[in-house]
Amino acid sequence: MIPMEFYLPIAGNSVNVVAVFGMGGVVGLLSGIFGVGGGFLMTPLLIMIGIPPTVAAASDSNQIVGASTSGTLAHLRLGNVDVKMGLLLLVGGVVGSTGGVYIIRMLRAMGNADFLINVTYVLMLGFIGGYMFIESLQAMRKAKAPAKSVPQEHKKASAFARFQASLPWQMDFARSGVRMSPVMPLVLGVFVGILSAIMGVGGGFIMVPVMVYLLRMPMHVVVGTGLFQMLFTCINATVMQATVNHTVDFMLALLLLLGSSIGAQIGVKAGKKLNGEQLKILLASLVLIVMFKILYQLLATPDILLAYAGGH
Amino acid sequence: MKRILLFLLGLAFLANAAGIQAADVDFTVGQSTVDMDLFYNGASIPVTGAVPEGALVVVRFIGKIGEVSMKQKGKAMGLLWMNMNTLHFSHMPAICLVEASAPLAGTGQVGEKLGLAGVTDSIVIEPASADRQMLLPEILKLKKSEGLYREDGGAVKLESAKDGRQAFSASVRLPSRLTPGEYSIEVFAVKDGEIVGQSVKPIAARLVGVPAFIANLAFNHGLWYGILASLISMLAGLAVGLIFGSKGAH
Repeated sequence: MIPMEFYLPIAGNSVNVVAVFGMGGVVGLLSGIFGVGGGFLMTPLLIMIGIPPTVAAASDSNQIVGASTSGTLAHLRLGNVDVKMGLLLLVGGVVGSTGGVYIIRMLRAMGNADFLINVTYVLMLGFIGGYMFIESLQAMRKAKAPAKSVPQEHKKASAFARFQASLPWQMDFARSGVRMSPVMPLVLGVFVGILSAIMGVGGGFIMVPVMVYLLRMPMHVVVGTGLFQMLFTCINATVMQATVNHTVDFMLALLLLLGSSIGAQIGVKAGKKLNGEQLKILLASLVLIVMFKILYQLLATPDILLAYAGGH
Repeated sequence: MKRILLFLLGLAFLANAAGIQAADVDFTVGQSTVDMDLFYNGASIPVTGAVPEGALVVVRFIGKIGEVSMKQKGKAMGLLWMNMNTLHFSHMPAICLVEASAPLAGTGQVGEKLGLAGVTDSIVIEPASADRQMLLPEILKLKKSEGLYREDGGAVKLESAKDGRQAFSASVRLPSRLTPGEYSIEVFAVKDGEIVGQSVKPIAARLVGVPAFIANLAFNHGLWYGILASLISMLAGLAVGLIFGSKGAH
């Protein structure tokens, strides 16, 4: 008989190989269909099968390193990576994720790391899921009754543009075709880095809206630059988590990686057959469901009123 | 002189009594180590032996008696559950698996004391002002949910009795969530509300093979482990990409 359970020394428990592989597959499938990273789904799923949250988050970072490698190379070859912008985001991201790892360590000592991870998830998933949901609904309505809410958006954009133009050291980003201060990508990189270390995600689902809406980069450059930036951010998060918190379970990461890579291949093919706005609404609903599940855990009386202090 | 004689006599009596006690319970453990390899998913430790006829047999797998810091969950801002004040639990075994030839409840004070009720009773909680009535069932619930505390009256099988001796056998099921370290297996014989014999044998759980290698790397060479984990992950990602000709999904 082939053994189905693997003992993971970092997680301190054994897991069912098929369950972990399948979980990677499902998340990979969804990320293939929707074209986003699945980190925000993977970590909560791992927590559900009994992996300590801090180990789940760190191991997922390790998994994303593998999942974004071949994509980054492909986009580099196609010229879809704005290296200058990517490096600035990366420097910010490295600073941010390093800070995030230390925040986690401090909170683990205080016993509240898991609480912070959960609250961050609720806020981020709620914000992004809600925004996507509303945006897709509006897009679907617009398709029926065109050109209505356009002027308001212009007003907003110009205020933001004035602020951006007031920042020092304006420079050109040729590949993206934008001109701005390097302070913008640096600061936004720090912000995404902190979140990605805390949540154990590549930050793709935060970084992509940041690049599209705040940095105004064209979509094809966004995808390539995002992958490039995410790869290095996650390498940094993996090394930092391994050194500072000893929470990277490499075997878990490898199992997830294999599952998600295969799932993603199927997902990409399935996604091409679906309608864009419907896809967005579906994804938004999925994000909101995960958010409500975590929120419920924060609100409902726990089964056990005690928890270990100082991590797992 | 008389006193010394009496003392020696007393010593001889005690030694004899101890001898009887040890001889009253003899048992063997199927293995002296628990090897936790890549496929470790809990283990069954066979324990066989003999006790005086008519005695209740209690087999315990017990971990180091130590202390643990816990956080009591409470409502923050009257809304969100989070970890609040710190509590220290001491005189508490990390793991305690109790198996007996009959349910321990109703076997009198001595019998019950050998079970989880007795073990949790001797836990000391600091600060002393903490609500024991509320906290002890919670810690028991937590430990049980992790599979680290368990009591199973009826798991020890009694074989046929012979010459006043009662043979028994048990198979102590260890959880997958076991920490490597030193443990002991204790066997008690309880008769007429008294412990008539007891014996202890050590057993060690250790990581071997792949988990031992990974744990050593992760805890003692964290930086190298992190770099290696990233490199292997990248290579695996590239390999999968080559196989499927993918552009990556993340």
